[in-house]
Amino acid sequence: MPDTKPATLTINGRELELDVPPFYPLAVVLREELGLTGTKTGCFEGRCGACTVIVDGETVVACIYPVGLAYGKSVLTVESLAEPTGPLSSLQQNFLEKGAVQCGVCTPGMLMTLTNLLERTPQPSEDEVRDALSGNLCRCTGYRKIIEATLATAEAAR
Amino acid sequence: MARAKDAYVPELIHPASVDEAAAELARLGDEGEPIAGATWVMLGPLHKRPTKMHYVAVAGLAELRALELNGATATIGAAVTHSQLADGIDGEGPLAALAHAAVGTPRAIANVATVAGNICARPYPAADIVAALLALDAQVDARIGDDASSVDLGEFMRGAPTPGSLVTRVRATAIGQAARSCYERLTIRASGEEAVASVALAVDVDGQTVREARVVFGAVEAQARRCREAEDALIGDALSADSAAAAGRVAAEELDVAEGPDAPVDYKRRVLPGLMKRAVARLAAGGEDA
Ligand code: FES
Ligand code: FES
Repeated sequence: MPDTKPATLTINGRELELDVPPFYPLAVVLREELGLTGTKTGCFEGRCGACTVIVDGETVVACIYPVGLAYGKSVLTVESLAEPTGPLSSLQQNFLEKGAVQCGVCTPGMLMTLTNLLERTPQPSEDEVRDALSGNLCRCTGYRKIIEATLATAEAAR
Repeated sequence: MARAKDAYVPELIHPASVDEAAAELARLGDEGEPIAGATWVMLGPLHKRPTKMHYVAVAGLAELRALELNGATATIGAAVTHSQLADGIDGEGPLAALAHAAVGTPRAIANVATVAGNICARPYPAADIVAALLALDAQVDARIGDDASSVDLGEFMRGAPTPGSLVTRVRATAIGQAARSCYERLTIRASGEEAVASVALAVDVDGQTVREARVVFGAVEAQARRCREAEDALIGDALSADSAAAAGRVAAEELDVAEGPDAPVDYKRRVLPGLMKRAVARLAAGGEDA
């Protein structure tokens, strides 16, 4: 008989057992059940990328990703990028220094998308950065500074 | 935005094998459906599509995630994602249409959206992978319990998927000896959105002359479909901007163009010759975005 409720998953390295319906969106579980409010929600229909997190090494939009599909998997949110009192990740630091953050609503999703890009492609071209951002909308910055921050992070890691 | 938990009541079943998944789906019949990346199902309530009470999760089944490439033939597991297609298929080879069709989707969606999800979703006029697969003469393998069957994708698309069935794989083959293919999509923004109109083009050329052709338009009618009149307009001539535009004009007359969310009928008709020209230019450029 197939298993219907293997309700454990690992979030930012911590294994958790959850008691939520399997079709509850992962973004809601993160924010409302676990208090991980770094993940933002905008459109709630998979179009803006604000809710992007990493599941088993691949980005997903958590607003339309049922938590039940994450059972047994590893989820990384923006909170995984730096300890509360520790240094920011290199990408976060470059976002700060290059002025890539204005209102900040898109920022956690941008950071997760670009962190994943830099893991897959450590030295991306500008076009590759632009392509990676095709699912992340920003209404404030005009993207230029986000791209600069990403390329500066890659350059520093050379 | 708070969501009521009781809106998410369906059961999610995690089978350990394809056999177990097929048996569960056969038992559930019309009450259940396979689920992979879940994007279509999660957006169902928003778009007022009916949902099921039971879903059988298939994305984790290794057999359904296998992508086998052999020259001009691809055997694609049902749960192969758009990202797998984009990363695994040569964008300049005979199956290039599939790679091109897979890259239009933002990565966070492409990582979970599957081939079977694309061909089973209804109604979905802009399903990129469907158009590319139709141009590559795809066959769909499915099971109901232990009973396996195979059907031409064009035939599969004519009705809804059979209740209780599990699509297991799709086989695509580029036509002819000197086959080339490509996929072009027109979107309002540069990328990351559904196509307003798209075309999948596969040709077999003899020297300069088109010997055989498949031309499939997506997001134009209610569902992607082959346009044989446009194919006839290409066959026997050299591929050129003129022959492409002529084929696009024929398609604009022949197709039963449907209004889309981003474009009226007349606009769609007008863009088809230009879209065909872009597709032919891309073929001439060896798959590069021309
Ligand atoms: S809130 Fe998830 S994509 Fe917009
Ligand atoms: S900084 Fe405001 S939406 Fe991007």
